[in-house]
Amino acid sequence: MEKEKDYLKPEYYENRELSWLKFNHRVLNEARDKNIPLLERLKFVSITSSNLDEFFMVRVASLKDMVHAGYKKKDIAGMTAKEQLEAINKDTRSLVEMQYSTYNRSLVPMLHNHEIEIIDAYEDLTEEQGEYVDRYFEETVYPVLTPMAVDASRPFPLIRNKSLNIAALLTKKEEKKEELEFATVQVPSVLDRIVQIPAQTEGNQTFILLEQIIERNIYRLFLNYHVICAYPYRIMRNADLTIDEDEAEDLLQEIQKQLKKRQWGEVIRLEVEEKIDKRLLNILKEELHIAQEDIFKINGPLDLTFLMKMYGLEGKEELRYAPYRPQRVPQITPGEDIFESIRRGDILLHHPYQTFDPVVDFIRQASKDPDVLAIKQTLYRVSGNSPIIASLAQAAENGKQVSVLVELKARFDEENNIVWAKKLEKAGCHVIYGLVGLKTHSKIALVVRKEEDGIRRYVHLGTGNYNDSTAKLYTDLGMFTCSEAIGEDATAVFNMLSGYSEPPSWNKLAVAPIWLRKRFLKLIKREMKHAQAGREAFIKAKMNSLCDRDIIAALYEASAAGVKIDLIIRGICCLRVGIPGVSDNITVRSIVGNFLEHSRIFWFHNDGQEEIYMGSSDWMPRNLDRRVEILFPVENEQLMEQVRHVMEVQLTDNTKAHILQPEGNYDKVDKRGKRLVNSQQQFCEEAKKALPQKVNVYQDRVFIPAEPIE
Amino acid sequence: MKITTFAAIYIGSYEVSLRIFEISANRKIRSIDYVRSHVELGRDAFNKGTIGYELVEELCQILKEFRSIMDGYRVDDYKAYAGSVFRNVSNELFILDQIRLRTRIDVIVLSNSEHRLMDYKSLAVLPKFEKMIQKGAAIVNVGGGSMQITLFRKGAAITTQHIELGIMRIREKLSKIENLVSHYETQIQELIDKELEIFKRIYLQGREIKYVILLGDYIGEMTKGFSKKEEDGTIETERFIKLLNKWNKKSTEEISVELNLTNEHDPLIIPSVVLYKRLTEELGAKYIWVPGVNISDGIVCDYAEKNRMIHFEHDFEADVLAAARNLAERYHGYSSHTEAVLDMTVAIFDAMKKVHGMGKRERLLLQVAAILHDCGRYVSLVNQSECSYQIIMASEIIGMTHLEREMAASTVKYNSQPLQPYSSVSDKMSQADYMVVSKLTAMLKVANAMDRSHRQKFKNVKAVLRERELMITVESAESIVLEKGLFSAYANSFEEIFSVKPRIKEKKVFQ
Repeated sequence: MEKEKDYLKPEYYENRELSWLKFNHRVLNEARDKNIPLLERLKFVSITSSNLDEFFMVRVASLKDMVHAGYKKKDIAGMTAKEQLEAINKDTRSLVEMQYSTYNRSLVPMLHNHEIEIIDAYEDLTEEQGEYVDRYFEETVYPVLTPMAVDASRPFPLIRNKSLNIAALLTKKEEKKEELEFATVQVPSVLDRIVQIPAQTEGNQTFILLEQIIERNIYRLFLNYHVICAYPYRIMRNADLTIDEDEAEDLLQEIQKQLKKRQWGEVIRLEVEEKIDKRLLNILKEELHIAQEDIFKINGPLDLTFLMKMYGLEGKEELRYAPYRPQRVPQITPGEDIFESIRRGDILLHHPYQTFDPVVDFIRQASKDPDVLAIKQTLYRVSGNSPIIASLAQAAENGKQVSVLVELKARFDEENNIVWAKKLEKAGCHVIYGLVGLKTHSKIALVVRKEEDGIRRYVHLGTGNYNDSTAKLYTDLGMFTCSEAIGEDATAVFNMLSGYSEPPSWNKLAVAPIWLRKRFLKLIKREMKHAQAGREAFIKAKMNSLCDRDIIAALYEASAAGVKIDLIIRGICCLRVGIPGVSDNITVRSIVGNFLEHSRIFWFHNDGQEEIYMGSSDWMPRNLDRRVEILFPVENEQLMEQVRHVMEVQLTDNTKAHILQPEGNYDKVDKRGKRLVNSQQQFCEEAKKALPQKVNVYQDRVFIPAEPIE
Repeated sequence: MKITTFAAIYIGSYEVSLRIFEISANRKIRSIDYVRSHVELGRDAFNKGTIGYELVEELCQILKEFRSIMDGYRVDDYKAYAGSVFRNVSNELFILDQIRLRTRIDVIVLSNSEHRLMDYKSLAVLPKFEKMIQKGAAIVNVGGGSMQITLFRKGAAITTQHIELGIMRIREKLSKIENLVSHYETQIQELIDKELEIFKRIYLQGREIKYVILLGDYIGEMTKGFSKKEEDGTIETERFIKLLNKWNKKSTEEISVELNLTNEHDPLIIPSVVLYKRLTEELGAKYIWVPGVNISDGIVCDYAEKNRMIHFEHDFEADVLAAARNLAERYHGYSSHTEAVLDMTVAIFDAMKKVHGMGKRERLLLQVAAILHDCGRYVSLVNQSECSYQIIMASEIIGMTHLEREMAASTVKYNSQPLQPYSSVSDKMSQADYMVVSKLTAMLKVANAMDRSHRQKFKNVKAVLRERELMITVESAESIVLEKGLFSAYANSFEEIFSVKPRIKEKKVFQ
């Protein structure tokens, strides 16, 4: 007992927020990599910017809540909420600084070299461009602007979360006395943030930011006033939904209500341009009730997410990676009966290297197949216009029993999800709106089919959402199987999600919140016992985040016992490596590449009887405690080999991998004298090679006469 | 290959379940889906004696969902049964009607004996079961409202006893004082011990039991962690009791966590722990076995057997006879006379087959009636027919339904009483059943008359039907004047019913 406690020392742990910021730094590093095409680099800057927004709205906001509530408990790294906020503030500032120095010092000049200009000050416009901009303002922008002045009779207006605004100081034209008045106008989000304008030189592409167009013309909004100065600003509000589920009669309505409320959360960050007028800043500070330390003075355009739009720029293909087309899965021939393919044996899908189409097709074929009795599926984040939703609705109309669990609580996607849910209900599906107190994060689809020899269940289990657009960007693994044991479990999962009692036992699946943590701890302990008995023991795991204290402590204990542990963790990692006697057998690497690493794989050596699991869960308390997650075993030897290969290639990646150092920073691998391995690129190539070479396509068409039947 | 999709619905005192099965020649019975929902019908039933509006509403809602699941699987047939929870309530018929109207599900309320037979069938399909009961075993089935203990000796069920003590009922009984006492578990124990003590004294004396077969909720979870004997999956009772003793001192929450229960405050867990502990201690078997079957397995086995989809190795009729014999012995009503009457009734029944047109099951009823026809004398020599009837009705015979028991008991009753018109029994059976009782009575009466002296004067009884005469040929060394004289009186009623005249033909044998 005494010994076990040792592994819980706060100094053995990293704070999760700071670790997250390190991850965002790694993404930003990609934007600084000179080997990456320019527009791809812009994309990475944009990602860091939207990441940071979400981080503030959710994580920083809840820390603020803790401080307000006087919550004194320390996190696993021994920091109070207040200490964390201070540290986050410091690290965020250095991150933002790096964002803008990358943007200003590398990216803007390089864009210029490639004949692309971004004008972020209207003063730089030529006369011709100025005219164009003014016309654009008059015709397009002006009609949608709502300027709002503040005075005794008009209170300070509601500034929307994440919206970009322009604040101005005005004085009345006729009056002698210079009394300053404040006004604000939102930069309309319905219009594109970047506007292409005539270039100075032929062949160049020139863009201006929308707020600059408005600033240039701001006097037109306040005709009776002199505009003293005008500067853009942007706020971030506390957005974490707190839903009282016990009292919320109808979850759907409650979430709709909360969505409206999100506008009103406390302001937790204010971004302003560096050279903002002091008087203006003071007014904002006072009206928005924001502390000095939460004000970020930005050297450049606010909200760099517009760079994503630049990434999508027409032409300039040479500045982007050649687009990769997901390959066909060898075992599944498009257009053929997918159920027959699955009956031939379990099938592994590796997205985005392999196409997501079979999953869409699985549901589509099921919706039409007369032998299919029921389709059940969980939907977490769905793409706009999802073909899966359409198929599910179709199936219900075809008289099949369709149950869909739509997780309304998927953060920032709630609005989207409500629309789907309603649509499905209309079509006659049985729609379950999540479980009270739990987020359903598991990704599972079940098709029940009445066949010649009885009922057979086809199951798809995955590590990623049923979203055909993110499946092109996120690396995920999925598995098709018609194993009876897993089929039975899948049925039980859906019964459980429909509100029926849990099954007395599970065959193959481990399901959080009730069974998953125990299962993981048991697996780690078992590996430890092998090591203690002097046998070979290792754990190789890949996930998005690791921050569960129990699991980390178990890993430390296992490492101390001699288990070799190699982890691939994209994001947050609260585990520290290289602590003598505690974690010297653990390595952690993070792969940040063109695709977002998203799959979760857990591989245990188990004295040669290897066990490989995949699932929807990270090793985070929220995954293990407050979500419905599924962990499934990969048991088919061929599939195991494929998964092992994925892990091994990623563990040898030396191009996109960052290795966690004992001091807590992530360094890229020293490539000198090594063969370069870029795992994502390698998988792309392998997926292409795995397909059988096309037979001579240009063969003459030959009609085959039917033989007479005897 | 023909595959039947079958749904079994069971309404218990705290849970309603739906299980979907596939029955086929090849794979026998395969469970496809199992859906359970927690509804505490017992809360009302055991406290108030009626089930209130809210719970009926909840029940109908669940059954409606079950209906749509069944439709989803396109089931070919279903059976919906309710257990003891409905037997005890006054508004049973109204609830059943509500369910039928609102969910299109016909629910049948099982009598205890039917319920137990189903449990028993679900066990009988397991190969290990036959071996265990050869060595002496007790099946203990713990339910929400009651429990049932059935004892086996040499492969046949000899007695079965119903005890009105289930985990839900215990909780309901003690719910009012739960907060008043510091040791809730000792109160439960007292309640249980009282019942068990009597059972043990009367039925367990001198009977050695090697295995206790435990059916019921929570027992699966409780025994999950145990290593089981390889050949038969049993657990040493000693180890099991040791663990339960440990739990006995723990709180609901602690046990729930250890057992991985969903509900951390499961109020039924402590009654379960105490009940299983006391049961295994008192029955004193060396091993326990938890086969993990439940009523839904029983329902499907019963259905499949009735529809000739599966066939049991186990002879359930032998159980019925063994249990009847055991019952007769307990009331000192079993003698060589009984044996003689049994032989003769069977001979008559078989000879009359063409005339009475009855089958195997009725033959069994007649046998039971013959075995038990004298048991009432234990209570009263004068009023023996009524007493026999009461004894039979009050005793459970595993393998017989409630109606069958009623028919056998009535046969016994009218054996020494004039047959009453149908109107006097119309609340208990249908006209067809009444006809069966009448026919069986007539046969029993003739057989009984032939051993009037209780001295088994007849040997080698043979019965043959010739035209409209039933020739009963007997061998006898003694005078059978008494028998012959009384015979004609019974022969009349026989003739009335069958239009066949029985005749005794004597074959004198000299020793």
